Amino acid sequence: MLLFLQSLLNGILLGGIYASYSAGFSLIFGVMGVVNIFHGEMVMLGAFITYWMFTLFHIDPFLTIPFSALSLFIFGYLVQRFVINRVVEAPPMISYILTFGFHLIIAYTALWVWTADFRTVTTGYSGLNADIGGIIIPYARFVTFVLALIVVAGLYLLLNRSEVGRAIQATAQDKEMARLMGVNIHRIYAITFGMGAAITGIAGSMLSTYFIVFPQMGLPYTIIAFCVVVLGGMGYIPGALWGGMILGVVQSLTATYLSAGLSGAFTFILLFIMLIVRPAGIVGKGIVE
Amino acid sequence: MSRRGPKALFITIVLVLLITPYSGMSGYLIRLFATIFLWIGKTGCWNIISGHTGYIDFGAVGYYGIGSYVTALLMTKGHVPFLVSALAGGLVSGLIALPIGLPTLRLRGAYFGIATLAFAEAMKQILLEFDKTVEVNFFEGPHGITLPMGPPNEFFYYIGLAIMVAVVGITYRIRGSKFGYALRAIREAELAAELSGVDTLKAKVEAYIIGAFFLGLIGGVEAYWLTYITPHMVFDVFITIQMVVMSLLGGIGTVFGPVVGASFLTILYELLHRDFPYTYTIIVGFIIVGIVLLMPKGIVGTRTTKGRVRKI
Repeated sequence: MLLFLQSLLNGILLGGIYASYSAGFSLIFGVMGVVNIFHGEMVMLGAFITYWMFTLFHIDPFLTIPFSALSLFIFGYLVQRFVINRVVEAPPMISYILTFGFHLIIAYTALWVWTADFRTVTTGYSGLNADIGGIIIPYARFVTFVLALIVVAGLYLLLNRSEVGRAIQATAQDKEMARLMGVNIHRIYAITFGMGAAITGIAGSMLSTYFIVFPQMGLPYTIIAFCVVVLGGMGYIPGALWGGMILGVVQSLTATYLSAGLSGAFTFILLFIMLIVRPAGIVGKGIVE
Repeated sequence: MSRRGPKALFITIVLVLLITPYSGMSGYLIRLFATIFLWIGKTGCWNIISGHTGYIDFGAVGYYGIGSYVTALLMTKGHVPFLVSALAGGLVSGLIALPIGLPTLRLRGAYFGIATLAFAEAMKQILLEFDKTVEVNFFEGPHGITLPMGPPNEFFYYIGLAIMVAVVGITYRIRGSKFGYALRAIREAELAAELSGVDTLKAKVEAYIIGAFFLGLIGGVEAYWLTYITPHMVFDVFITIQMVVMSLLGGIGTVFGPVVGASFLTILYELLHRDFPYTYTIIVGFIIVGIVLLMPKGIVGTRTTKGRVRKI
């Protein structure tokens, strides 16, 4: 029983991590219809920002979060503003081929500059756990989980309560109508991409404290973000939490009771079945083209 | 839009290539050409599936890998001759493409891309873990399978040439046929095609199976050529990516686009990869971004139609 509870909890915490870096993917897809293949590279950049600030200036990883959020916001804003905006009206396949080009440029430039070394951010609290009745909760993962909830809730509030958020939603629903209402949709696209990049960078900073940081880490994160967002419903932001939890729990239980290697196979089989059976996601609020 | 010129040029080049190995071509060049032929074949398959219909297949490498494994298993466990094994690899790939294609080809756009990617990754994971999970020695997991030693490179040169001609020829036949028009109608406006009486699902699945068959065949040929395969090698997502980039560079949905794109990138890889491994990939990245922004129809597409990207 304890084993079951422990692996369930591990799954939920892992799900929080998944949700933290998948929400941005969902936002970008939901508003612009862009499937961003270099999503994982934004996680990598966030993680590297934290790594360098920690290694060079001994700044606590959690204090580097504003910095990586801001850097990634600027990066995302510029990429959307000057490049992706130019093809946003073209068929969707153009945008994923374009973002794939960026994936290659970013990942391999990083590999060239930073080499393929595996790096870690080891802080005083890296290995610390809370022990509640025999169930172990690693602090760093727990904090990520809480931050993921805050980020998703914040994003949700921002989209529903602020002027910019309403403009973003209007653009996502009907861009021509939004344009007629005086919304500068290209600016909204750039802000949306910037926001998506910023929350992804935050996730990268957080997970650098317990996952290995290296230039080619990105692609698996992109693939997991795909899965999470499909499970939760494409473009439906709280769906990232649902998708993350389901995937995290399924992987954790498979790893505990079957085999660790099979959890990868299960992920993809689950994703495949999900796409066929329920493309709008588990709660059915995703966008179906 | 003249189609005579490229066709005559292609046939001339193929005829020349048929005899060049006898005119003192170096071993290095024979290997390079065989590599180019097989890349043109793979890219051509991807182009049949995705270029004509607009359904972007991110899991095409799955069929390549299945073909490799079927060939390797038949040759090592069953001592079946190579050509029969590779053909069986193609047939098994084509057969698996039916149950995979039927549900996934109902999905649109990004969903199809993700579902096919999931399929290829799941195949890889299953082959990696199967033996350990059920405690047998069949697929050999991550250790991979060693095939019997193959004939010299000239053999693969001619096999590659034959496959390339077959794939390009079939694409050419499809393009001028009713089937080809159906596929392009699906790409341009699927609903309208459906309303005009095109059985869109059937046409898509047929194109998917044709592509899968040849990918499986090529997988078998390359497995025999390399003499050693692992799930990580033959289900490498980078192989799919190369097919996409080569098609894109040459011109998606054109007959000779894959020929131009695959030749160009294979030669670029040969020139740069040994000395500047990262530079090659970064350049490929910039090429992709540049093409998408400046000439989204690719080299062949831009030459034949002077149109701009169609805006929706």
